[in-house]
Amino acid sequence: MLKPKWFYPSYKKDVGEWAWILHRLGGLALIFYLFLHIFVTNRLAAGPEAFNATMKALSTPVFKFLEWGLWGVILFHAFNGIRLVLVDFAGASKYQKLLFWIAFVLFLALWIPAAWKFFL
Amino acid sequence: MVGSKALVKRNKGALSWFLQRITALYLFVFLIAHFVIMHFTGSGEVTYQAVAPRLSSPLWKAGDLLFLIFALYHGLNGLWQVLEDYTKSRGLRLFFYSLILTMGIILLVVGTVTIFSVKV
Ligand code: HEM
Repeated sequence: MLKPKWFYPSYKKDVGEWAWILHRLGGLALIFYLFLHIFVTNRLAAGPEAFNATMKALSTPVFKFLEWGLWGVILFHAFNGIRLVLVDFAGASKYQKLLFWIAFVLFLALWIPAAWKFFL
Repeated sequence: MVGSKALVKRNKGALSWFLQRITALYLFVFLIAHFVIMHFTGSGEVTYQAVAPRLSSPLWKAGDLLFLIFALYHGLNGLWQVLEDYTKSRGLRLFFYSLILTMGIILLVVGTVTIFSVKV
């Protein structure tokens, strides 16, 4: 099989390449988001009016949708990350496939219903 | 340049691998709690009036400071791992490493200023 560079560090290749790719892409998205987040929340230091004005500007439907997407990225990375920690620290490598599906179900179960909070 | 080779190679060690997982455990609890508190409790609107009472507590400040440090370490260390997988040249690695370190320091300062801008 053709092996793209994506699959390179192959020590958990058998866990499911997709989990690994999504975990990596999610992690990158999160650090990019954190970069913006730290600068935006610094508006707190400019006082109540400035902070509230910024928050208001960032509460349009487009941003609400992005926030819901962010919640999805967080949940997937978080549950799959716990799975990776269990595999590495608790010797759970025998159950990694099962753990993946548990993580995946938890991710969907917490993500999809959360949509109503963002779109009402 | 002193230790440029060591710098670029540093991540090969087990310490960053270990810390990536320790910070993951802290982040799992605090990132999910953070998102739930900000979006699923209260009015769902992020305002200065909602944030400041929490952040005026020293305990909250301490928790947030640790949250900031761990998220930056985890995210930037993760980013470095990814970049290491896709770059071979020492010069390029050194460039990325310096960029990440600089970004980390700036983000840590900006975030810390934010946390302490809300007076006790
Ligand atoms: C919810 C809590 C989180 C957990 C449980 C978690 C778990 C993990 C674990 C176990 C790894 C190591 C994966 C590996 O070595 O293959 C990892 C990698 C990574 N994480 Fe997280 N993480 C969390 C939150 C975050 C946050 C908030 C960010 C961004 C600021 C982030 C960014 C990254 C990045 C960029 C990587 C590197 C990806 C890679 O090497 O493929 N993570 N995460």
